[in-house]
Amino acid sequence: MTVRETIENKDIALIDILDVILDKGVAIKGDLIISIAGVDLVYLDLRVLISSVETLVQHKQGTRKIINSEQFDRDREALDHAAQPDEWSHQR
Amino acid sequence: MGDLLYLYGLIPTSEATHPLPSVKGFDGEHEIFMLPNEDVTAIVCHLDHAAYSEETISDKINNDMEWLQEKAFHHHETVQQLAKQYTIVPLKFCTLYKNEESLRETVNKNKTKLKETFELLDGNEEWNLKIYCDDEQIKQQVSESNPVIKAKREEISVLPRGRQFFEKKKMDELINQELEDEKNRFCEDIHEKLKSVSLYGSIKKTWGKDVTGRKEKMAWNSVFLLPSPNVETFLNNVEQYEGDFEEAGWKFEVSGPWPPYHFSSFS
Repeated sequence: MTVRETIENKDIALIDILDVILDKGVAIKGDLIISIAGVDLVYLDLRVLISSVETLVQHKQGTRKIINSEQFDRDREALDHAAQPDEWSHQR
Repeated sequence: MGDLLYLYGLIPTSEATHPLPSVKGFDGEHEIFMLPNEDVTAIVCHLDHAAYSEETISDKINNDMEWLQEKAFHHHETVQQLAKQYTIVPLKFCTLYKNEESLRETVNKNKTKLKETFELLDGNEEWNLKIYCDDEQIKQQVSESNPVIKAKREEISVLPRGRQFFEKKKMDELINQELEDEKNRFCEDIHEKLKSVSLYGSIKKTWGKDVTGRKEKMAWNSVFLLPSPNVETFLNNVEQYEGDFEEAGWKFEVSGPWPPYHFSSFS
């Protein structure tokens, strides 16, 4: 893996996201009805701030686990078969 | 159908031929869609005005951490995904318009500026660098080898005893001041070096330990706009600084590529 890939795959904490999306996006004036300029991060819960995005994704996509475990069973079955070639040859 | 528009970002209409990823919008119900307006296409979703009034959103942001976490992540993930496919001017979290007309009007007013911004962003990436340091360790170095401190010590050593006592008390203050100066010098130097491989570099506010949850102090927070071919050099340089200065108490944290939030603002 290149340095770039390693960094790209690293977990990002909520604080890093807020640092970016609350700080300085484009502020187009006009009929903009809401702009959240300065949320005081100091008053937010530290545990949540430093929680990484990955935790959130797993939490949100609980359904994925079912697919994963099915996939896991299939993989394991395949591995079991692969690991027992001798038994099969005995049967033949 | 909701009557507010949540704006994620603006892309050149010429790139809008590439289909949007199927993503649910801010409320988790309405899909995101494109709103073309001549050369600029807005990527938006509908939001119910009753459920997402300015008041409700402010209240949620300040009092409902779970909501903020979920929505901030939604915004980030959506814009990040878009940034992989299009040249995008990303919008700040919770940028809402009353209706299509008001959004169109704003886009029209900023047409020229947007065109310039798209040109600037095309082929470039935003990266963030945070530098952390172990204050105690660096303080030790400052106390031992900083020339100002050294000179002060010598000056004190020849004073009468009574005076020495008071002067020594002031020393700690002086060391703390020199520590801050030293940290700034170090980080500014790194910043300038990295700027030489970037198009732009800009310095951001640092966060306290109460927000980062780290034992080291954040000494520097900065963003760079890098031409894609320079990213590798940039990262290699940072890796080298990491190796060179780790023992002295410095830590470097790079993240990216980010949608270009910092380099697409309108003045």
